Amino acid sequence: MASVATWDRSASSPYLQEQSGKEKVKWNFASLAERGEYFSEKPPTPLLDTIDYPIHMKNLSTKELKQLADEPRSDVIFNVSKTGGHLGSSLGVIELTVAIHYVFNAPQDRILWDVGHQSYPHKILTGRRNMMPTLRQTDGLCGFTKRSESNYDCFGAGHSSTTISAGLGMAVGRDLQGRKNHVVAVIGDGAMIAGQAYEAMNNAGYLDSDMIVILNDNKQVSLPTANLDGPIPPVGALSSALSRLQSNRPLRELREVAKGVTKQIGGSMHELAAKVDEYARGLISGSGSTLFEELGLYYIGPVDGHNIDDLTAILKEVKSTKTTGPVSIHVVTEKGRGYSYAEKAADKYHGVAKFDPATGKQFKSSTPTQAYTTYFAEALIAEAEQDNIIVAIHAAMGGGTGLNLFDRRFPTRCFDVGIAEQHAVTFAAGLACEGLKPFCAIYSSFLQRAYDQVVHDVDLQKLPVRFAMDRAGLVGADGPTHCGAFDITYMACLPNMVVMAPADEAELFHMVATAAAIDDRPSCFRYPRGNGIGVELPPGNKGIPLEIGKGRILLEGERVALLGYGTAVQSCMTAAALMEPHGLQLTVADARFCKPLDQGLIRRLANSHEVLITVEEGAVGGFAAHVAQFMALDGLLDGKLKWRPLVLPDRYIDHGSPADQLMEAGLTSHHIAATVFNILGKAREALQIMS
Amino acid sequence: MCSSYAAVAQPLHRTGESLPFPFFGSSTRTSVARPPQFVSFQIGPRGAARASLIETVEEPAARTFYELLGVPETGTLLEIKQAYKQLARKYHPDVSLPDRVEEHTRRFIRVQEAYETLSDPKRRELYDRDMAKGVHLAFTSRRRGKFDEELQMANKSEWKSRWQSQLSGLKKRSMQKETPDDDNNLTWGARMRRERNK
Repeated sequence: MASVATWDRSASSPYLQEQSGKEKVKWNFASLAERGEYFSEKPPTPLLDTIDYPIHMKNLSTKELKQLADEPRSDVIFNVSKTGGHLGSSLGVIELTVAIHYVFNAPQDRILWDVGHQSYPHKILTGRRNMMPTLRQTDGLCGFTKRSESNYDCFGAGHSSTTISAGLGMAVGRDLQGRKNHVVAVIGDGAMIAGQAYEAMNNAGYLDSDMIVILNDNKQVSLPTANLDGPIPPVGALSSALSRLQSNRPLRELREVAKGVTKQIGGSMHELAAKVDEYARGLISGSGSTLFEELGLYYIGPVDGHNIDDLTAILKEVKSTKTTGPVSIHVVTEKGRGYSYAEKAADKYHGVAKFDPATGKQFKSSTPTQAYTTYFAEALIAEAEQDNIIVAIHAAMGGGTGLNLFDRRFPTRCFDVGIAEQHAVTFAAGLACEGLKPFCAIYSSFLQRAYDQVVHDVDLQKLPVRFAMDRAGLVGADGPTHCGAFDITYMACLPNMVVMAPADEAELFHMVATAAAIDDRPSCFRYPRGNGIGVELPPGNKGIPLEIGKGRILLEGERVALLGYGTAVQSCMTAAALMEPHGLQLTVADARFCKPLDQGLIRRLANSHEVLITVEEGAVGGFAAHVAQFMALDGLLDGKLKWRPLVLPDRYIDHGSPADQLMEAGLTSHHIAATVFNILGKAREALQIMS
Repeated sequence: MCSSYAAVAQPLHRTGESLPFPFFGSSTRTSVARPPQFVSFQIGPRGAARASLIETVEEPAARTFYELLGVPETGTLLEIKQAYKQLARKYHPDVSLPDRVEEHTRRFIRVQEAYETLSDPKRRELYDRDMAKGVHLAFTSRRRGKFDEELQMANKSEWKSRWQSQLSGLKKRSMQKETPDDDNNLTWGARMRRERNK
């Protein structure tokens, strides 16, 4: 029995001492909480305190392992309660994580976590426990796996369904170099819906390289999140296939029959029974276990994902078997397990803000305005009330896109395809062929994986599919994996696409109406994460279609013009306000459309001002590039105009608070003002305004 | 492929251990009072094997909610309501004779549950789906709303033996992989293993 050494983490941890300004996290040792009841203070975690890295787990007995299995749970709950983050998924894989690290030897053995949002216990067990209070904050731990953060994070993730592919790559790389480590890829049942998972399994079966794929099945294929009336049964046919697997009783019965038959026949019972066994297994496998076997992965399961003895037994067996080829282990877990509020919630506390562990209540700050997501949903509902051929499509993000509201109002006109963006886009194209008006609501960064479908299936054929790209621009705590930096670039270069962006929530309503009205070509509009600024909304939530290719001037001034695209216009307005006391009246214009550009507006601005600055929250190649292209061809750059494009820098901005990210990107109103000062030769004022 | 087997087996223990097959007339471990559970098992047209475990309780007839209430599976809400009212009046503990109170209370609770499930269209749909899958989970609570939680509970005892046999299958497969019989048809992985072992 290993002696349990505890050292006081809170006092000695250098990281916690650095955060002098921020609240220090105190671990008060209250009495151990009973299951389902939580106190406001964290229960003691004697075993976990002795473990910094997986190697410290190797000497634990099975009894200690069982006790250990529960300790990261309270760690996760109490940490996430203070920082916010993804809770339910991490709680579901506590036992699995402990079992994996107990059996395998990370980092030599490669452990990959799909999406990575369930990797909090993994991070706790691999040397980052004391950094958990910095989760998802500027300069803190990433909310997903990240290679540059730790050796134990083998593959960065954020988008789903990539682990089997990456794992196969690592397995093949290992084989080519003659190494002997193991590769374990953990993927969820939601992520299994995506095509890439099948592409990977198909290839894995063909190559026959040794690797382990753990299917974490918690029956949550779509993310309901906010605004749901009750649990939704999983989307898609795969889930029923997986449940059939779980309830597949006949194997036992058939084998019982078979054994009985052999007994009756007599003879060498053992051999015969084994043969019948094989036959029976093959018989069932032919139809039952499935998919995985057909693709060439040996299927083991289902396994109770919360029974650490079972898990370690299986993993040990598989690890010790010398040549396995690809093996899939079907583990059944419960999302949010161990925290009763999460277990009961419809969204299983998938993503939460800070909350009180004792009551499960989230601290959601009340804001005077709602999120752009909600406004979009309301706008779409208003349009759909009047036009019954409007339909909405999303990819497993009913809560995140706001389409849960639409679904509640029009249940037959809202389609959740599961995590399958490529299919969603082509599916929308098919709907458009039949004369419907499909609105595809997919996050800007998630639409990246459907780019060819956008180009080839939608744009090339000029089908009127409308793309509502939420989470455009910087997104805060989720970091670069979720950042919508590239959508202006990749949408505006398509010949037939109408590309627009609202400056505020009222404009969003109008643009939804505009998109609904554009019936001869595809269109898209982007809006950021965050809340509206409080402008007056159109009556009845019904927007008025805008004139396509026409922007507007918000402030009339002279000498310097700021041309903003999207919500960057708000920063421009603030910058103009900053410059007024210095006696400078800026012109601020809202371009509204990136494609087709308001050429008249640009000509006017270029001809009547000394300085023209465009601002957008997108990468190079977007709005500014189109404006530059136009101005160059139009001869507007041949004169004395000073032209500056402000875009996101050519690097990935790490996760952090939105304000911090904007500072890092150099797109705050102060940056804009400083740019103006610099161009006008007023370097001193530029420095002043930046401090 | 399309054949039907119907086997009458002994009640399956919760631990998932199998009992001697009845063909041999060996001693059963069940008490006589408890009627046998039926395991009927068919291989369907696509080779899909299905088993329905029908759990019986004191009244052998009451296998499903529908049977308990005495309505057909296509019964309308009105029929279900009427049946429920009738049975409730019959079995309500307040109107039962004192010596039948306990039994009636139990029946009443079951009737109540049947009514709750069948009168709510969502829950009824879920229940119908489970029935179609061949698992009758009569008289277990669905209050948490997890539609297959009970499914999992009923099956977890089965899982362990299944994955244990799968693990032994893995060993066999591993031996097969180590000694490939066809030298010309090696998978990429087999080729790499051969090179590594040289």
